[in-house]
Amino acid sequence: MNNYPALIVIAPLLAALFAGLAVWIEDRLSYYIAILGLAVSSFSALKVLIQVIESGTIQYKMAGWDAPVGIEYRIDLLNAMVLLLISGIALFNLIASYKNVEQEISDRKGSFYTIYLLFVTGLLGVTATGDLFNLYVLIEITSLTSYAMVALSDKDRGPLASLNYIFIGVIGASFYLLGVGYLYMKTGSLNMMDVADIIASQHDSSTVLVGFILCMIGVWIKMALFPMHVWLPNAYSYSPVAFSRVVAPLMTKVMVYVMIRLMITVFGFEYIFNTLHLSEAVVWLATIAVLAGGVLALAQDNLKKILAYIIVCEIGYMVGGAWLGNQSGMTGAILHLLNDALMTFALFLGLGNMVYMLGKVKLNNLQGLFSRMPWTMTGFVVAAFSIVGVPPTCGFFSKWYLISGAFEAGAYHFAAALIISSLICAILFFKVFEICFFQSSPDLQGQGHGHKFQVMAEAPVSMLIVSNLVSFSLIVVGVFSGTIVKTIILPFLQGI
Amino acid sequence: MKFFGFVVVCLVGGLLLYGTADFPDWGDPDSPASTHLSDIYIEHAFEQTQVPNIVTAILADYRGFDTMFETAVIFCAGLACFLLLRDFKERKERFYRHVPTGVILHVKNSKKALRVGRDFEHIDKDWIPSDLIIKTVCRILIPFIQIYALYVVAHGDFSPGGGFQGGVIFGSSLILLAISYDLKILVRRIKEKVLGICAAAGVLVYVGIAAICMPMGKSFLDYSALEMFVFDPHHVRALGMLGVEIGVGIAVAAVMAIIYINIVSEGRHDEGL
Repeated sequence: MNNYPALIVIAPLLAALFAGLAVWIEDRLSYYIAILGLAVSSFSALKVLIQVIESGTIQYKMAGWDAPVGIEYRIDLLNAMVLLLISGIALFNLIASYKNVEQEISDRKGSFYTIYLLFVTGLLGVTATGDLFNLYVLIEITSLTSYAMVALSDKDRGPLASLNYIFIGVIGASFYLLGVGYLYMKTGSLNMMDVADIIASQHDSSTVLVGFILCMIGVWIKMALFPMHVWLPNAYSYSPVAFSRVVAPLMTKVMVYVMIRLMITVFGFEYIFNTLHLSEAVVWLATIAVLAGGVLALAQDNLKKILAYIIVCEIGYMVGGAWLGNQSGMTGAILHLLNDALMTFALFLGLGNMVYMLGKVKLNNLQGLFSRMPWTMTGFVVAAFSIVGVPPTCGFFSKWYLISGAFEAGAYHFAAALIISSLICAILFFKVFEICFFQSSPDLQGQGHGHKFQVMAEAPVSMLIVSNLVSFSLIVVGVFSGTIVKTIILPFLQGI
Repeated sequence: MKFFGFVVVCLVGGLLLYGTADFPDWGDPDSPASTHLSDIYIEHAFEQTQVPNIVTAILADYRGFDTMFETAVIFCAGLACFLLLRDFKERKERFYRHVPTGVILHVKNSKKALRVGRDFEHIDKDWIPSDLIIKTVCRILIPFIQIYALYVVAHGDFSPGGGFQGGVIFGSSLILLAISYDLKILVRRIKEKVLGICAAAGVLVYVGIAAICMPMGKSFLDYSALEMFVFDPHHVRALGMLGVEIGVGIAVAAVMAIIYINIVSEGRHDEGL
């Protein structure tokens, strides 16, 4: 019996529970339990990805019941890739975060790791499942854990940010649940494949239409598509660094995955693009999101906020790409999902190192950072280039697919927005680099004849290794993006 | 802004109404929801699971995977309360009541605690003279509530009920104890550590029972793999469900108490409601 698909999700869940016990017995153990759980999960995800590439979609019946009666995990190329991405990022972040957690939340580490593991469990479960309601339950776990985390760090503004996040997040989840309810009225089933088969003959039903709209709005709220993004910047910038580094790359990307999964597997392109003709409206929405995210990022003076608004901008890329309605657009969206998770992770790793050493990361705190933290900045620069889209970093290739998809679909406004937002990102990052490189920091060490030099004050080695490794992976993924498209994305898109 | 909100509410309401236009008729026996899968559950649930209560069969077996994560949600809520509210700092102000005379002492900024015994007792800031009637009635009621909670957990296979309900009833008996006496009595009877361990262990019972099925050669949560552990292989699924219900009950009861204690005492575990 091949139990790897279940193990991907169950290993972190079991680890979370043992870490929850360890809180009361020996607090320090919880970190090692967490590492073990996520390592098992990553290993299983890798195994599953290899199996899926070799022999096609895996179905795993929970409790042994066949699909529509019971719950099944259905792992094809797309979610095998996303599962590996999630478990890998969560594991690496945990390795990098040990010192951050010691610094920020030393008195309740055990509970922090427990909640962290539950959050990752939720993300993995959302990705692996083939059941609409099971997906909702797991969304609930990810949301609940992230509400708690956001309120944890900043004693003054954290709780308010968390409260806003709760209100909007609960509304988003309710929309999704309501949509599933409407679909259930017409189908009597919760299994994605089964629902897809039944609604294939009900394309003119208003109930299915409303179910579709509600599900999409719910997912859009959860992924912070402009103008439903208001919760995101505060929530991500006031949470503990160790958590914002995993929530920023993964939460929104997993919701993009859910959107793509609903579009491809449940409703089908035929329904969305040929029956409803929604493509154009949503691509316009995405265009506005891309531009608004970029402009709002320009207005910030805190690096955390800048990065948070860049996420809002990137969400626009993926939504637009997925809704262009052609293969290049969808390829671009899926490739960008992978790339953006890695890029954002690399940026936030750099950010975490800065927070660890500097405390505050307002732009004027960053003076002289290149000489103070050269290794951190190396990783950060590579990640920033990737966000801007400089070849050979991976950001370039997914943008290429997105732009060519936009031209194919005749959505020139979307292509223009992509290019403009890349320019805005370039301006933003060069503004940051200018401060870090040319302005010298006020606390220079003086010595001798007016010569002043900067003492290097780098982050701990474990954090540097992870952040540079991830930045290096951006180039590797960029160089091999042709292979990724050929072995994973195109076979997936052709298989539907 | 209010006007904008009103417009949004109207639009969403209109959308929901529009969606109902194509609903099957109210109570229609031929609607998809009551034919597509319900038939299978109604016809086969008993023979496949040996549980007379179909709702339990769906909840804990056919869709047991969802229920497992719902339990994890409960655990997560308790943990979040602990993580955000728990305050380990000692309170500087203390109140004591001299029992024979009824004089109340207010001690400020003192490290040394007064010895509590026959002469002095701890009281809360908003102390109300204890009511003999309330205390006596609650003292009589609490054991019965707890036995009823155990009954609801154990009887989940046969009648409406199960771990969640039983756990909530048990948890409410603990809360009743705290309300009718005071919080300190509850905290002294059941240590925080015990509650924390119970919350995690309860969910672990569920996940553990489900996970043991994997090395036994069946898929996750497939109770039929547990045949060698039970004395009655014919009812293996029913017994498996009873096991996970017990786990749910423990977790829910503990989490109820954790949430209550942390919220009323603002995380200090000393006084409150």
